[in-house]
Amino acid sequence: MNDDDFRMEVRQFIEKNYPTELRFMPRRPRWREIKPWVMQLIEKGWSAPHWPTEYGGMGLSPGKLLIFMDEQERWGVARAQDQGVVQLGPIVIRYGTEEQKRTLLPKMRTYETIWCQGYSEPNAGSDLASLATVALIEGDDFVINGRKIWTSSAMDATHFYLLVRTDKTAKKQQGISFLLVDMKTPGITVRGIKNISGSTEFCEVTLDNVRTPRRNMVGELNQGWTVAKGLLGFERINSGSPRRAAFAFNRLEALARERGLFKDAGFVERYTQLHLDVADLKAVYLHFADLMTRGETLGADLSILKILSLETYQRITEFMLEASGDLGLTVHAGGDEEGVDALTPFLVARSGTIAAGTTEIQRNITAKHVLNLPV
Amino acid sequence: MGGGRGSARRPEPVTAAVVLAGGALVYGENEALKSELLPALAEGRLVPALAWRENVHRAELLAVDTRAEKTARGVRISGGKCLVVGGASADGFVVSAQGPDGLALYWIPAAAAAPGLSFRELPDGRPVADLALDGVEVADNQRIAGPGVAAAALTRAFDEALIVTSAELLGVCTRALEITLDYLRTRVQFGKPIGSFQALQHRAVDLYIQQRICRHALDDVLSCLQDPELQLDVRSALASRIKARCADASLRITRDAIQMHGAMGYSDECDIGLYLKRAITLSMWLGGADVHRRRYAKLALRELAD
Repeated sequence: MNDDDFRMEVRQFIEKNYPTELRFMPRRPRWREIKPWVMQLIEKGWSAPHWPTEYGGMGLSPGKLLIFMDEQERWGVARAQDQGVVQLGPIVIRYGTEEQKRTLLPKMRTYETIWCQGYSEPNAGSDLASLATVALIEGDDFVINGRKIWTSSAMDATHFYLLVRTDKTAKKQQGISFLLVDMKTPGITVRGIKNISGSTEFCEVTLDNVRTPRRNMVGELNQGWTVAKGLLGFERINSGSPRRAAFAFNRLEALARERGLFKDAGFVERYTQLHLDVADLKAVYLHFADLMTRGETLGADLSILKILSLETYQRITEFMLEASGDLGLTVHAGGDEEGVDALTPFLVARSGTIAAGTTEIQRNITAKHVLNLPV
Repeated sequence: MGGGRGSARRPEPVTAAVVLAGGALVYGENEALKSELLPALAEGRLVPALAWRENVHRAELLAVDTRAEKTARGVRISGGKCLVVGGASADGFVVSAQGPDGLALYWIPAAAAAPGLSFRELPDGRPVADLALDGVEVADNQRIAGPGVAAAALTRAFDEALIVTSAELLGVCTRALEITLDYLRTRVQFGKPIGSFQALQHRAVDLYIQQRICRHALDDVLSCLQDPELQLDVRSALASRIKARCADASLRITRDAIQMHGAMGYSDECDIGLYLKRAITLSMWLGGADVHRRRYAKLALRELAD
């Protein structure tokens, strides 16, 4: 099927089936909210667009994957608790044993199992490799002790994949293993963390002598860092998508209309600057999307897209907050007051330059691997 | 675009002579004049300059005070133009004036213009001309474009010059950045190359991002220009978009480049200062970032008109 026809098919399906009230959600939806939509995707065979068809995926080419993502973003489709399908699935496909593939993948794809990711710890954020959650071998099990934090949607998850330390004597990246755990296992405590925008998406997960069978290790012992490291091209480009900025700009325009701000020359000047920032951000995104569509590998310079995309998004929300002024202080998502909410997007945008690799780390990567500056 | 450049005998800016002035000739309607001038231009034997700008704070391309009054054989032009790039050794001038029936473009050979010419220097060291026009006689057959054609011809040449200048600014960005990165890698202080200090690394990355934005925005603009059904306003908006971007980015990169070179950056003998002055000159020519953002808003942002 050619790209244009595919785009139309995806668009029509989304427009027909995606619940209107869930469009452009300011926060991540809970599983109970998004489940009906996910069930429709599963029924259509569309819940794992990037998996090979032999595992029940759509087997989409990079170009079509971009289209699939683009159409969802365009309509404001929220992301479900899809970390299993998006991250763990490809990891199991690449590094898992045949038995792991057979037992894990089908339920993952149909969301019978819902997975959350345990990487960060209170003392291991940007310096993830220094993680200290320990797993000791006892007979046929690993026994895990430690704490994970910023675990997205752990309260909705049935299963957990995590990085643990299995060798304290080795260099830090060389002593890490990749384990799978059932959330019902005794010793697991999940505590939601409310964030400044008022929603509770992230959790702290405490593991107190949690046992998981040794067969729940993916990849070899002490090879977990390599297993976890290979982020998919389309996931990396996704975090740099201009859609967030474009949507925020859209809200800025709505605010301007609501308050008659286009009569203010000073406002118009900054509005125009931000409009151009979004247009040029899209041009940068297009460069990488074209590379991906042509099947080329995305290099370390992709970091610049993430930096630019999230900082542009922030700048727009910052300006929106300023323009919204004191009158806007009491307007917020889910509240009674009418008006364009400038506060929630502003607060939510603060996390953009922190999550999934801070912009400081992205700059470190760019300096070292793209600009070849000395360390 | 940019093709067909001859090798000029004198080091005149190609963009001003070929794209801007030459463009106005090409898009004009005087075929006889084109036959006379364009082959010589293509071979570098003739260097024209466009005199459009007048001495007002916010210069308008299409609204000028210079007047062309009707005479028996043509017009008599009175008024003044300033900041004519390439005017110092131009063989003739394309001059915009408000004619009897509207905006028109005229060709004034160097000999006729000479009495009114004076010169100043731009930051990058190039001369720039001011042209006082005190009743200069121009025959009808020297009219490049009359009302109805002049505005479109001038705008198109202007837009193309904006785009080519943006490409030149991208070149300035790229080279200034390269020089700076080399300096960061080699300059040693406190026992280490200064490029190993994180503050400078992060700053360098931010400059690199600016250069990449220019590069990809220019690609995007050039790609949009391929559209055979491209509307004139859209073309102008694209030209202003990219000029604003490259003007801002080049000033930022070259400013920071000076900073990262330390005292050497501030010294005249160090090349990096030349890049700053070049960025300044090219950024401001034909209007700086603020001018072009305003032009873009007027042309492209429909919501402002509502």
